[in-house]
Amino acid sequence: MDKMLLGRYINGDSLIHRMDPRAKLFLSFYFIVIVFLCNNWQTYVLMAALVLLFIKLSDISLGFFIKGVRPLIWLILFTVLLQIFFSSGGNVYWQWGPFTVTDRGLLNAVFVFCRFVLIIFMSTLLTLTTTPIEISDGLESLLKPLTKIKVPVYEIALMLSIALRFVPTLMDETTKIMNAQRARGVNFGEGSLIKQIKSVIPLLIPLFVSSFNRAEDLATAMEARGYHGGEGRTKYRKQEWKQNDTIGVILFIVLTAALIFLRS
Amino acid sequence: MSGIIDIKDLCFRYSQENEELDLSHIDLHVNEGEWLAVIGHNGSGKSTLAKAIDGLIAPEAGEIYIDGEKLTDQSLWNIRKKIGMVFQNPDNQFVGADVEGDVAFGLENQGIEREEMHARVKEALEVVGMQDFAQHEPVRLSGGQKQRVAIAGVLALRPKIVIFDESTSMLDPEGRMQIISLIRQLNKKEGFTVLSITHDIDEASLADRVIVVDDGKIIDDSLPQDLFQKGNQLIEIGLDVPYPQRLKGELAQRGIDLPQEYMDEGSLVNWLCRSILKN
Amino acid sequence: MSIHIEKLNYVYQSGTPFSHRALTDVSLDIADNTYTAIIGHTGSGKSTLLQHLNGLLKPTSGSLTVENNKITAETKNKELNDLRRHVGFVFQFPEAQLFEETVLKDIAFAPKNFGKSDEEAEQIAVKMAKLVGLPDSVLQKSPFELSGGQMRRVAIAGVLAMEPQILVLDEPTAGLDPKGRLEMMEMFDRLHKEQHLTIILVTHQMNDVANYADHVIVMEKGRVIADSQPAEIFSDPEWLKAHHLGLPQTTAFAAKLQQQGVPFKTLPLTEAQLAAQLADMMNEQGGGLRG
Repeated sequence: MDKMLLGRYINGDSLIHRMDPRAKLFLSFYFIVIVFLCNNWQTYVLMAALVLLFIKLSDISLGFFIKGVRPLIWLILFTVLLQIFFSSGGNVYWQWGPFTVTDRGLLNAVFVFCRFVLIIFMSTLLTLTTTPIEISDGLESLLKPLTKIKVPVYEIALMLSIALRFVPTLMDETTKIMNAQRARGVNFGEGSLIKQIKSVIPLLIPLFVSSFNRAEDLATAMEARGYHGGEGRTKYRKQEWKQNDTIGVILFIVLTAALIFLRS
Repeated sequence: MSGIIDIKDLCFRYSQENEELDLSHIDLHVNEGEWLAVIGHNGSGKSTLAKAIDGLIAPEAGEIYIDGEKLTDQSLWNIRKKIGMVFQNPDNQFVGADVEGDVAFGLENQGIEREEMHARVKEALEVVGMQDFAQHEPVRLSGGQKQRVAIAGVLALRPKIVIFDESTSMLDPEGRMQIISLIRQLNKKEGFTVLSITHDIDEASLADRVIVVDDGKIIDDSLPQDLFQKGNQLIEIGLDVPYPQRLKGELAQRGIDLPQEYMDEGSLVNWLCRSILKN
Repeated sequence: MSIHIEKLNYVYQSGTPFSHRALTDVSLDIADNTYTAIIGHTGSGKSTLLQHLNGLLKPTSGSLTVENNKITAETKNKELNDLRRHVGFVFQFPEAQLFEETVLKDIAFAPKNFGKSDEEAEQIAVKMAKLVGLPDSVLQKSPFELSGGQMRRVAIAGVLAMEPQILVLDEPTAGLDPKGRLEMMEMFDRLHKEQHLTIILVTHQMNDVANYADHVIVMEKGRVIADSQPAEIFSDPEWLKAHHLGLPQTTAFAAKLQQQGVPFKTLPLTEAQLAAQLADMMNEQGGGLRG
């Protein structure tokens, strides 16, 4: 449970930390889109160089990012294997029934792998350098135009920020309940499938009960502090768009142009 | 004389199916600046009373006046501005993602301007001694620190009454003592009217007046020192027996003659010293 | 059942950027049929140590031996199960672990997991419910209908149902009212004396240490900084103060009397001890006066 890196903020005061969360959010999404423009060595090298530059600027060691890949490694390997064995075209190196290994397939597999790693590195960079509250504030402000079509953006953002706020609390709670049930002889993740499914019940029911209790307490506390919907609320935090954010956006526009130029 | 809290014949039940009232014909008068401790064993109805005062539950009958204003659906939000509440579980009342964000939550609800908010958050955090933790997330705080943040969140709203609903019961001894001395400061120095719902003898002994709730009724209303004389009966009504009282009991069993009246720790130490070190 | 811990070290998330050391060179012995209190601040390593006793954590290095079960970094997870049978663990706010439809089923949960038949498990459950003072009338109720204090008793009965020889209690009275606290502590004392359970209690309440324990372990920053008897630990208020630990009320009160010149040979731990000493002093005085 502790190994989950996504969503874990690392305190710091680097150039990347100081960027406006709206800029970071927008550019991260944008990055994921333009990764799909890459289709040859040149474009991937360019993107990798950019990601490494950002990581350098964030003052966070590369180790954290590599750890971020780990939880998704099976998904990545699966996709890579699909590419290796089921691509067609190019020189055939090996063939057996429906499986074919071709040079194009191998190349694609490498590219897919790179694409995964780049996207994970970039989203890890976002969550490592941006607090959850900044992310939800940023989302709220990016989605604000949607209030025009009656989307309750404010409530969604509050929900998101409370959810994020309670993630560590619930993780703790989960660990505690798992330990308590282990002490009563439950073996999580062992035995037959039915046994494993059964072992989830003593974990899930207490978690539901405690979450409902928490939710009730929290609702009472919020009401006592005068919360009655998003209307007329002011915001404590201000987001400031700075020069660096503009530079970031320009950098990405140039990058897009370069990618279009370099791709084959 | 009208007090800051006036309750007349208040009745409440959680569910219509309940035969018994959960609050039964409560009459209560609290003066401005007073510290009232509310005690009672778990399930006696003392927290329900606090929730009723803040309009968090709707009574079946009776009236509540806060600062001269009757509590109704219309006056509710205005009245809540006058009352701050600190609850039992430090984790379940932390709304913000970090300390200052949490203190600001109530201010945001009231639509206070940003400049003003920053000033008030800073000030409130200084009162509770948490200014150095402004950017900390709740996971990095102890229970006592979270409760101090909750108190700051209340202070920033500048209420007249602060209700502590068993706010010290989940804390370790250090956190507990910090919160008790903070409550004392708020009442004695800053002049807040304090209602503290508690099992804690140290907390109750600092109050000006103690009411005992049992089965949804107020069964006693007295000065702390008068209540503490009840000795072992205190356990039944949800309070510990004060240490001097316990020791007096043990001494009496060994045939020592002690003064009848309530003695706090200092006076018992003096009395014992006088009797032992006579020469 | 005795516990022997030797040079135990534990590092959380070892090998990751978040790794941190929670226990350093912990060595200690807990004898059979004793009542041990473990005290120390939040973050002193108490909880980490407790989790080793129950096989929830394995040492990073060093070893832990419960009777004949030796646990080291190499021990297989399967073998930890054996340890768990012998060591019952009551977590903080244990009522959070309740999940079954009825009180009886919840108490019977652990024995069933450890291979008892449904009938046997229920028999044990009925017995344990009685042992913790639950009335028969609640056995068929849902545990979620009960009061907080009763829910906690159900949870404790659920741990006792494994029929452990060692009972580990992590702040078992937190959040209870004074009456509930007293009843709970008396219950554990009874289990210790009548059922001969070895008890390991983690607490902030020095009064409980003074009243019930016969062995105290003090932890700080992942190390054991004291290991002796309550009378000895509490005889040094200065040392306790230096480590931000409190005194039992009686000892604190006696220390005040001592400052005023009342001569104590040893500082008392409980009200009864203090009252007896004071009564003796006063009778001597009285006797002197009369004579």
